[in-house]
Amino acid sequence: MSAPSKPVPLTTVESTETSDSGAQTLTLSVGPQHSGSGHMRLIVEVDGDIIVNVAPDPGYVHRGIEKIIELRNIIKSIPVIERPSIIDASNLNHAWVRSIEEIQGVEVPRRGQYLRTLLNEMNRIMSHLYWLSIYGVFLGHTTMFMWPLGDRELFIDLAEKLTGARITYSYLVPGGVRRDLPPGFAEEAVKRTEYFEKRLKEYDRIFFNNPLFTSRAKGIGVLSKEKAIELGCTGPTLRGSGVDADLRKDEPYAAYSELEFEVSTRPDGDSFSRAMVHMDEMRESCKMIRQIVKKIPAGPIRRKAPIVLPRGVAYGRVESARGECSFYLIGEGGDKPYRARYITGSYRNMAAIPAVLLGNRLADMPTAWWSIDYWPVEADR
Amino acid sequence: MSTQRTTQEEDPVATLAEGLSLWVGKLSDLVKKVVDTGPIRNVVNWARMYSLWPVNITTACCSAEFGAASGARHDLERFGVLPIGSLRQSDLIVIEGTITKKMAKRLRMIYDQMALPRYVIAMGDCAMSGGLFHDSYSIVNGAHEFVPVDVYVPGCPPRPEALEQAIIMLQEKIRRSKVYEQG
Repeated sequence: MSAPSKPVPLTTVESTETSDSGAQTLTLSVGPQHSGSGHMRLIVEVDGDIIVNVAPDPGYVHRGIEKIIELRNIIKSIPVIERPSIIDASNLNHAWVRSIEEIQGVEVPRRGQYLRTLLNEMNRIMSHLYWLSIYGVFLGHTTMFMWPLGDRELFIDLAEKLTGARITYSYLVPGGVRRDLPPGFAEEAVKRTEYFEKRLKEYDRIFFNNPLFTSRAKGIGVLSKEKAIELGCTGPTLRGSGVDADLRKDEPYAAYSELEFEVSTRPDGDSFSRAMVHMDEMRESCKMIRQIVKKIPAGPIRRKAPIVLPRGVAYGRVESARGECSFYLIGEGGDKPYRARYITGSYRNMAAIPAVLLGNRLADMPTAWWSIDYWPVEADR
Repeated sequence: MSTQRTTQEEDPVATLAEGLSLWVGKLSDLVKKVVDTGPIRNVVNWARMYSLWPVNITTACCSAEFGAASGARHDLERFGVLPIGSLRQSDLIVIEGTITKKMAKRLRMIYDQMALPRYVIAMGDCAMSGGLFHDSYSIVNGAHEFVPVDVYVPGCPPRPEALEQAIIMLQEKIRRSKVYEQG
């Protein structure tokens, strides 16, 4: 993953060069405008059609969010924090409010915890579905682009009922959540998750058991267990390499300690395993949603929390759809933080992109690259 | 200088070329006039209206709602909007959200490489005025600072219905405008 030997110009210019061994390599600039999705550039060096060197060029969506947080008060920061991963907004929001509550010492009521978990799991499904639809685009499978986006609307409607917004909720606030469950939500949630589980079987039939996909994904982009740990991967990328690591189990927060679910791991570490981990997580999230609407306790949803951030340091982390998302927060007594370090799952997984691409053919690049579930906005912040 | 002029005046080829270019210039003016008045304009504009292919460039997080709009429920393809990878074959840029300084250069390059006529929809508050990130050190406050914009879509992010409305507005704009003055 070293930088290319020659500076690559701004355009998609191809340059040929001869290495010491006499082999000819070609440097290609893939992105930021390319036929898939994702606003990042990969500088790929190929020998024939074998990828010999990859250098990611992120930063096309760097908006300086860490600096903006320092200029806003802690409540006004919530919408800013959601924007990096708009399809997984509530999980990022959860990491922020967790770190604030840790400094303030505020305890969230149990009903509030359950509602947070509910929205987080709905968001995980939506995020994975969006990932799957873009995977369909990358592989030229138009049905797999349309179906997940259509089924994603099931959960978008549900979230809209609960929070009032389609994808940017700002639902989690320090001390609890903004709104209570609307009437008739539980029945609707059960109905929709049960329908969605039936649809997942159809996904398996048309895509995941389809030779068109399996022959392109099995054995492609292998990331071994040791390498995944060494690179510091998280989330589905890490679990796809056979490591049983999930913050929801390892360090249960919100209501996860009271719910029954399994952490899905796959030993192979190839693109197919990572895709299947996503599928398993969607099934588990459906089960969790049904458990939550059944078990949810009565009581207040929000406890009054101060608007100021007392002097102190906190580290709040959650398992977002793309891996561990964390905040390192320093308060100095005012309503704004002194410093907030913001690390997201995609940022941690960026190191895995060269690792999965090296040695593969250029034509296998979309399969291997997008199986990492790299969301550039989230990584650049 | 004077000798040059006399040779030019005497040169029959130059005289002919001058006359021809004058004639061709007049002819092209005539063609433009004919195309812009009458049914040819309607046919050309009809074809342009219903084949707005946006280039596959995503600048920030509004791409999630653009994806939802292209997806199963909202299906932008019924308006003739089909996201396409190749910028030479596309007519439309949908600027999806915040434009960073790093991305703005690339976006302008993509705009310059596209064939005429080309249209721009600025989607989201960030593409209009910087929005939520207006005081950030690394963004451009609005798409109009480096490309001409046809339609703005407010919202953070705009709903897919708002994007559909923008497409319809752009189609209406194309329907009313002259063939040679578009893009």
